[in-house]
Amino acid sequence: MARTTARRQPLTAAEAAVLQAALAAEHAAVYGYGIVGAHLTGAAFTAARADWVAHQVARDTLESMLRSAGLAPVAAAVAYRPPQPVHGSATAISLAVTLENRVAAAYLDLVAAVSPGVRKLGAREVVAAAIRAASWRGRTVAFPGFPPGMLGLPKSAGSTSGRG
Amino acid sequence: MLAAAARPDPAAADPAIAATADLTSRPRRAVLAAAASTALLAAAGCKGVGALAAPPRPAPEVALLHAAIAAEEKLIARYHAVITRSPGLAAGLRPLRAEHGRHLAELRSRLIVPPGSTAGAASSPAAARPPGPARGGGPAGPAGPAAAISFLQEAERTAAADLLRRLTAVSPSLAQLMASIAASEVTHVAALAAVRGGG
Repeated sequence: MARTTARRQPLTAAEAAVLQAALAAEHAAVYGYGIVGAHLTGAAFTAARADWVAHQVARDTLESMLRSAGLAPVAAAVAYRPPQPVHGSATAISLAVTLENRVAAAYLDLVAAVSPGVRKLGAREVVAAAIRAASWRGRTVAFPGFPPGMLGLPKSAGSTSGRG
Repeated sequence: MLAAAARPDPAAADPAIAATADLTSRPRRAVLAAAASTALLAAAGCKGVGALAAPPRPAPEVALLHAAIAAEEKLIARYHAVITRSPGLAAGLRPLRAEHGRHLAELRSRLIVPPGSTAGAASSPAAARPPGPARGGGPAGPAGPAAAISFLQEAERTAAADLLRRLTAVSPSLAQLMASIAASEVTHVAALAAVRGGG
């Protein structure tokens, strides 16, 4: 519903820019979850694969919206360097959290859009990224999508039920 | 690249302070908030001065902000009541309640209340009510830890859905805050399940 609405509306330059930024974040997440999954087994691997697919779906949605507006979607890079080396399950999960934080931040910019469709898409994906991030992190945060420390505390202690 | 105003809060940056501050109403930071908030909000919130200049976006945004504040106060009251009634859940619930305290503080900081006005207090009846054990269909909900957790989960879902439904009607900055708070509340649903499971 919201996707259809957003697709049919013309995009402002600002909206196109934030959609491209979100797409770039999704490209990085799709690549990054490949690394994450390679270091996980069992239920954690299954979760990583599910999240990898979710990011592919989100990427396709963004590309479709941009193409429908007559714009060329930003392409994925050949490779992405993880912010820190990944050499085991702990660092893999840490990377997953980082990827989700970046995706959530990118989608939060969509929430500032004028178009209701873009805004709703952004909100929906901020929620989705927050759920995935909390699951990997094992606890919740007060302000998903905002940089740590921007609003209130950088982080908080929620429950401890992380994956892996 | 965020549209929301960056407004570092020294008090909130200290975990020890924030851990206790979440349950008490923050001092009004009207002046600070006015400086950091959007011009639209400022114009809409200052009703005393608003008569001098036509605010571009008056009541609706302020009304929705009041509704969001009241919803957070209600959630916090429910956590208070459940923690009081089921102390065994306290360790798991307090961190979640603390996050609601920060949601509430941030939402309140977006309200511009003229000095001497009671507009802010009038919107938040729950704030005036001292937290305590609720009886007979109060905010505690059903008795028993498992039912209480389900009750809180439903409250979180409802609060998040309300925020998401309303965020197309507010300024970009407030929409971002509402979306972020809604996302936090949705993650509380799973966290509450872990609390129930003894996690």
